Amino acid sequence: VSRPPRLPLAARWLLRLTSVPRHARAEVEADLLELFVRRRAEGGLMHAHWRAYHDVGSLCVRPARRSRFALLRDVIADVRYAVRLFARQPGILLLTVLGLSVGLGISTAAFSIMNSALLRGDGIVDSDRAPGVLRTTDGSTSTVWSYDEFVRLREGATRMQVEGVVGDTALVRTTAAQADAPAASVAFVSGGFFAATGGRVVAGRALEPADEPQPGQPPVVLSFIFWTSRFNQDPGVVGRTIRVGRTDAIVVGVAERGFSVPSNRLLWMPLTAYGAVYSATPVRRTPETGIQVFGRLLPGVALSEAEAQLSGVASTLPSTAGDSKLRVRLDPDTGLGRVSSSESLAIAAFVFAVIAIVLLLACANVATVLVSTAITRDREMGVRAALGASRRRIVRQLVTESLALGAAAALIGLTFAYWAIPMIGTMIEAPDGADLAPDFTVYVFLAVVTLVTGVGAGLAPALHGRGVDLVTPLKGEGAGQNRLAPRRLRSMLVVTQAAASVLLIVMAALFVRATFRAAAIDVGFDAAGVYSVSPGLGDPSADDGAAIRSFWTRAVPALQTVPGIASVTLSELTPFDGTSKTSMTGGRVVHFNSVRPEYFDTIGLRILAGRTFTRDEITAKAPVVVISESLARAYWQDQSPVGQLLAREIPGPATRPVVIGVVEDAITVRLDQRSTLAFYEPLDPGSEKFAQLMFRVAPGGSGVIQQASQRLRAIDPEADIRITSVGGRLEQEATRPRTLAALTGVVGLIAIVLCVIGLYGLTASVVGQRAREMGVRIALGAAPRDLLRLLMWDSLRPVVFGLVAGAGAALLASRVVASAMLFGVSPQDPLAFSGATVILLAAAVLAVIVPTRRAASVDAAFVLRRS
Amino acid sequence: VKGEHLGEFEEFTLLAVRALGDNTYAVPIQQYVEKVTARAVSIGSVYAALGRLEEKGFVRSTMSEAVAQRGGKSKRVYTVTPSGLRTARDLHRVRERIWNAITEGGRS
Repeated sequence: VSRPPRLPLAARWLLRLTSVPRHARAEVEADLLELFVRRRAEGGLMHAHWRAYHDVGSLCVRPARRSRFALLRDVIADVRYAVRLFARQPGILLLTVLGLSVGLGISTAAFSIMNSALLRGDGIVDSDRAPGVLRTTDGSTSTVWSYDEFVRLREGATRMQVEGVVGDTALVRTTAAQADAPAASVAFVSGGFFAATGGRVVAGRALEPADEPQPGQPPVVLSFIFWTSRFNQDPGVVGRTIRVGRTDAIVVGVAERGFSVPSNRLLWMPLTAYGAVYSATPVRRTPETGIQVFGRLLPGVALSEAEAQLSGVASTLPSTAGDSKLRVRLDPDTGLGRVSSSESLAIAAFVFAVIAIVLLLACANVATVLVSTAITRDREMGVRAALGASRRRIVRQLVTESLALGAAAALIGLTFAYWAIPMIGTMIEAPDGADLAPDFTVYVFLAVVTLVTGVGAGLAPALHGRGVDLVTPLKGEGAGQNRLAPRRLRSMLVVTQAAASVLLIVMAALFVRATFRAAAIDVGFDAAGVYSVSPGLGDPSADDGAAIRSFWTRAVPALQTVPGIASVTLSELTPFDGTSKTSMTGGRVVHFNSVRPEYFDTIGLRILAGRTFTRDEITAKAPVVVISESLARAYWQDQSPVGQLLAREIPGPATRPVVIGVVEDAITVRLDQRSTLAFYEPLDPGSEKFAQLMFRVAPGGSGVIQQASQRLRAIDPEADIRITSVGGRLEQEATRPRTLAALTGVVGLIAIVLCVIGLYGLTASVVGQRAREMGVRIALGAAPRDLLRLLMWDSLRPVVFGLVAGAGAALLASRVVASAMLFGVSPQDPLAFSGATVILLAAAVLAVIVPTRRAASVDAAFVLRRS
Repeated sequence: VKGEHLGEFEEFTLLAVRALGDNTYAVPIQQYVEKVTARAVSIGSVYAALGRLEEKGFVRSTMSEAVAQRGGKSKRVYTVTPSGLRTARDLHRVRERIWNAITEGGRS
């Protein structure tokens, strides 16, 4: 008897790789063998082999048995099942969705802002071919040129189109009747600006070279944002007249959305309109301050070639005395408000780190909830598998469930983001022209993130159900508790959550501490009631500041006569306006300022010794200074500095001025400023063009600000005069840590709540699974107290690991991110760290103790009889 | 209700089941279709067609008892259902009508 024929070994082996289900494999193999035998008889061995492999190959192509809508039908069934399942435990579910939506919302908001700040760009077409033109000498590199230099460069350039831009702000009235007109940022551009940047318009036309020499009413192009916010996208805006500064301008076009070059400009006007906007009697039509020059390389011209040609032009320009010849450097990363790529990369990395932490947390939480339900659903999955559901089908159901959660959360998250984006925008002081609204990129981001979170969170419990075991779950509780992998997974999730919670809570605690610290900081003077006035008269150096000086000459007496104003002064810097002048001297930071004699009276600093400046010292710009108390102590210890010369190492404009007075210390630049070493010089009339005005309102006065404002506007109704409260600025400084504290605090609190929910669910199900083990232990003589200790430790161990990891991360993060915002609170502040640890540990113990106590007090006989 | 559409290969398969007399299985069907159409037919496509036909309710299958000649392996045998037969006839009638129209048109 010959051996029964068999299918070739390779074909049998390949058959296992096809999509033929295992139960049908024997039948298919029998069919293949029958065909093989038959073909061998008819066409020979080679033919039979060839056709056999061909047939096996044909089995690899998945038979399209299912109709096109079967998948959809399954998904609908899955979703309906998921809804029913979730309806059974709405509490935990609601919190999970809420947590996930906060996570998605925060990351969407963060991404949206980063998108508008960095990713979307300014709308420059082919940015690499539009380099900034840098003014270079042997000793310096500058981004700005004088107007004459710019004109010469433009005329001489043959390899590229050279254009220039000046950014400034001006009052803009969109209707003649508008009394309290807000200011807007204006770009004064050369004629080819739009052509060179590639900026397009959605209505009307862009600015053209022909606009530049034109006398009379200058044209203006509106940005999309300006058009939206001030004209409500009125299509009839082209041809209308608006008032910019001191001139009427005709709207000729509206730029397309996303074009805001340079740095979030709202309006574009020709360079030659600069004089008309700012001076009542335009001496010169063009600005005297620096012009940012950039260019567009002509087609086919290399950067180096254009650079060499333009350097040739620059070398013929007259250079400043004592400087080397001018050269040109072309840099595609500068000019036009571009952020250098390394800088933007750092910000992007930070934002993405924040997004990642928040998402990880949300994802871990959803996964924990799903895993803990998956444990109790082992039986359900077992039944499904026994009824013939494939593993793929079961996994798909789990993923569908978490995707349903994710989709619901994404919707809520998007709403949250819409609400949060303007708030965060104000918080980070985004400029007016910034378009923060989410665009298509943001929606894609949200979709991808939701998908990844959903699938990721859904796969975790699927991983938990690895190797679906049909029998054990059907037999009931008690068995199959020793699977190691799922336990490790669950622990890992708890560790992640605990770590992220601690990280956030520590940061929040640090910021809360910083808030109190900031509120308690004594700035040394009474900021309430002090107001500063900035003139908004355009380029201060134009005409040697004649316009500004004459404004001050009329404004100071005008304000002095307002009832309720106690004191008026001029000074170069005003407290907390974001600017400072400092010198580093022997490791010490010394602040300095040029002031009128009334300065100390106005902001409320007492003179401790000596006197303030006299009128003569001001006009003569005498070499005298008033110094702060701490500076006096630093250099003269207990002796009186009055009448002494200022230390040589402190660089002042005059050589070694005489100290004539000592005033109280004050913090005037930033709240977290460490040094109060300061000296004050007289503000001479020549520097008044750079000055601002400050006045103090006597307590009890009402309507003083309105009166002051009216008086100032009466002097010059067209100027962009801004009165701001110094007290308000101080408050804003102090609230910065508070907003951060609120933000991290809220997220941290949500994190803890989610962590506790996850932990509770997990512990309850794990402890439930171990009921039999507990029964055995009790039967063997364990006391309930021992059991409690055992279970508690088992449940809390991952929390403790998470605490350690999170605290470590917080230590790193706080040192890197927050040290500037902490106002002297140490990044390793023990109170913040111990507080966060105690809070989380207490919450975790609460979450664990309820189910654990129930399990520890189990009736041994009952449990053992049941299994 | 499943789709009533019948693809060309499905039609061949359905008719082959009928032609071979009911209670036939995949191998004879493959042989038959291959012989009639004079082109190489893979067993996988036959399985697929049979699966689709069964889903549409045109054929019915049962597992046969083990047969000695196949090494004791059982096999799935197919029978054309009344609805399958009706659909095949309808299809045939439609074709006939069209052919008739063509020949008539040719005469006139």
